[in-house]
Amino acid sequence: MDGLIIGLDLCDAYTRICCHDREKSWSIPTVICKKKDEEAWYIGEEAYAYTLVGEGIIVDKLIKMVRKDGTATLGGTKYEGLDLLKLFLKKILKLPMEEFFCEEIKQLVITMQKVDGKLMDALMYCADALGIERERVHIISHTESFVYYVLSQKKEVWGNQVGVFDLSEDSFHYHELKVQRGLRKMMVIAEHEALEESFNLDILDTPSGGKLADKILCSCVDRLMQKKLFSSVFLTGKGFECHDWAKDSMKMLCSRRKVYMEPELFARGAAFKGMDYLQDNSAYPFICICEGHLHSTVSLRVLHKERESQLIVAAAGDNWYEAKSSVDLIIDKQDYVEFLVTPMDPKQKRLVKIPLEGFPNRPDRTTRLGISFGFLDEKTMAVVLKDKGFGELFPATDAVIRQEVML
Amino acid sequence: MSLILCRQEPVKRPFFFEYLGIRIFSSQELCYVIYNNPLLVMEGFIDESLLEFIREDLDMAFFAAKLEKWQKSDEEEDELLAMILHECDYYSASEVGQFRQKLASLRRLPQSELFKEKADFLFHKKQYGKAAALYLKILNMTKADRGSDAFTAKVYNNLGAAYARLFLMDKALSAYEKSYELSKSEEALKKICHLSQWNASVVPGERFLPLMTEELQKICREERELADEAAGKAQSLNELEQLFQKDPIKRFQGAGELVSKWKKEYRNIMS
Repeated sequence: MDGLIIGLDLCDAYTRICCHDREKSWSIPTVICKKKDEEAWYIGEEAYAYTLVGEGIIVDKLIKMVRKDGTATLGGTKYEGLDLLKLFLKKILKLPMEEFFCEEIKQLVITMQKVDGKLMDALMYCADALGIERERVHIISHTESFVYYVLSQKKEVWGNQVGVFDLSEDSFHYHELKVQRGLRKMMVIAEHEALEESFNLDILDTPSGGKLADKILCSCVDRLMQKKLFSSVFLTGKGFECHDWAKDSMKMLCSRRKVYMEPELFARGAAFKGMDYLQDNSAYPFICICEGHLHSTVSLRVLHKERESQLIVAAAGDNWYEAKSSVDLIIDKQDYVEFLVTPMDPKQKRLVKIPLEGFPNRPDRTTRLGISFGFLDEKTMAVVLKDKGFGELFPATDAVIRQEVML
Repeated sequence: MSLILCRQEPVKRPFFFEYLGIRIFSSQELCYVIYNNPLLVMEGFIDESLLEFIREDLDMAFFAAKLEKWQKSDEEEDELLAMILHECDYYSASEVGQFRQKLASLRRLPQSELFKEKADFLFHKKQYGKAAALYLKILNMTKADRGSDAFTAKVYNNLGAAYARLFLMDKALSAYEKSYELSKSEEALKKICHLSQWNASVVPGERFLPLMTEELQKICREERELADEAAGKAQSLNELEQLFQKDPIKRFQGAGELVSKWKKEYRNIMS
């Protein structure tokens, strides 16, 4: 297949990159350095090297900088965090492109610990600047990557619950998934928890620190996995690159389930997802309920060919950032729009009514209503209702209603 | 109470409906025009340009071919109109049924009355030029086809009204005079009086002068004063005043839109 399918795990400390169906992967610190008095940029270990010999100025925590609209001054020039991230991505994407002699990126799936609208917009801007079409770029959470990684393995790996501990330099996270087999479609429910027991990886350098870390991990395993039936547990992140410190916790983890070490778990999961985007029929026929995905279905009652039906505008399991749609409807004897929000528990479904205030009075069925939907996050839907009139018979007015709906 | 799901129709070349002077951009608008203007679509509405619009712009090639086939097999035009309403899923089956009945009842009218209905309808749509042409068509019929004198008087009266709205005062006066001659109606006389008061150059025939009593002239003057007063309070005038209170940019933009609207209305009136 021409073109690369890239999975990119972008974190503030380390970035991991791999390609679907290719074994080689890269893991480099998320830092960028500019050589003094020269327009030359370096990333990762090379950036550290130039900085150590005093030839370059380094910038780290790029993600945080972009989130806060931060800037960095390098050699007297002020750079936006966004521009530095763009340069970093350009450099890191070159690694697989040069290694596999391939200029084309077929799919780029970026996975992150915490995904928000601002960062997604920033990454899409970077993709534009790098000449990668937006349709080929997707941004997913670590939890979703974990789901795709696990469900790409043999069935016995995910027969029961699956957990992953992600121990990195700046955080300690736990993700868990459960597959529910339904009558129509399988449903994967995945959750994530930022563990308060996070510790600095430097403590692992001493025996006493290692013992303390082992105790911390033991207590986490005990708390999170007790009374649950697990098929497998994964360990990822820099903290598990060497696990000699975790003797007791390994004993606990390995009892009654299989334990796997997978340093590039999230990047690999993202690459699996990238591959799936290229398929006409998904190889993962399940509804995924996890961070970054909608937990409720939003629908509208409409009349089509004289029959009432529910028009689903966004379904539970859709990626909220990509769940954008618009539809034109004709209003017949009603002065409001009503959405049905159906959460996972159908008993809690509710109606959200938006009155069409400020819309002109017209005869029945002579107002075309343009409805656009988008999501600000997985729990907030933004709706825009616009009067589109009825051709030259009843020209459109500038009546517009913008409203946010909490799901 | 409902929201109707619309067909997505990428119309690039809208269909121009000459009678109303409007462009149609969707199947829903097409249905609305047919349903609400049966008198205007009864004859010759389904032509090659409409079929092309349905085929190319509404992306309903199969349906256009079906219409074409039925048309060639001399199917009644009413049936074709009902087919369009049915196909576009904008009106319910019962509403389409009512439309069929309406067409059938119109078809039962004598031709002169059908023409008058159509002309009156156009008059209400402010299409005075087209209405006047149809009134003249009735008056050009033989007396037997045209019907009673009372009916002819009504036609002359309406023709006068259409001419007056086209500012063709001499022709309007002549039509009202003929209407009065046939009906001897006070209303026709009043309109002659109004015309002469409103425009000094319009002088009624000598035989009408004795009929213009002082009392009639007084009534007409009072009615005109009331009409002037009502016109001064018209919503459109208020809107115009509000427009001129806006900042220059919005004022010019609004004035431009208003002038375009008036131009369009005027073209429709005169066509």
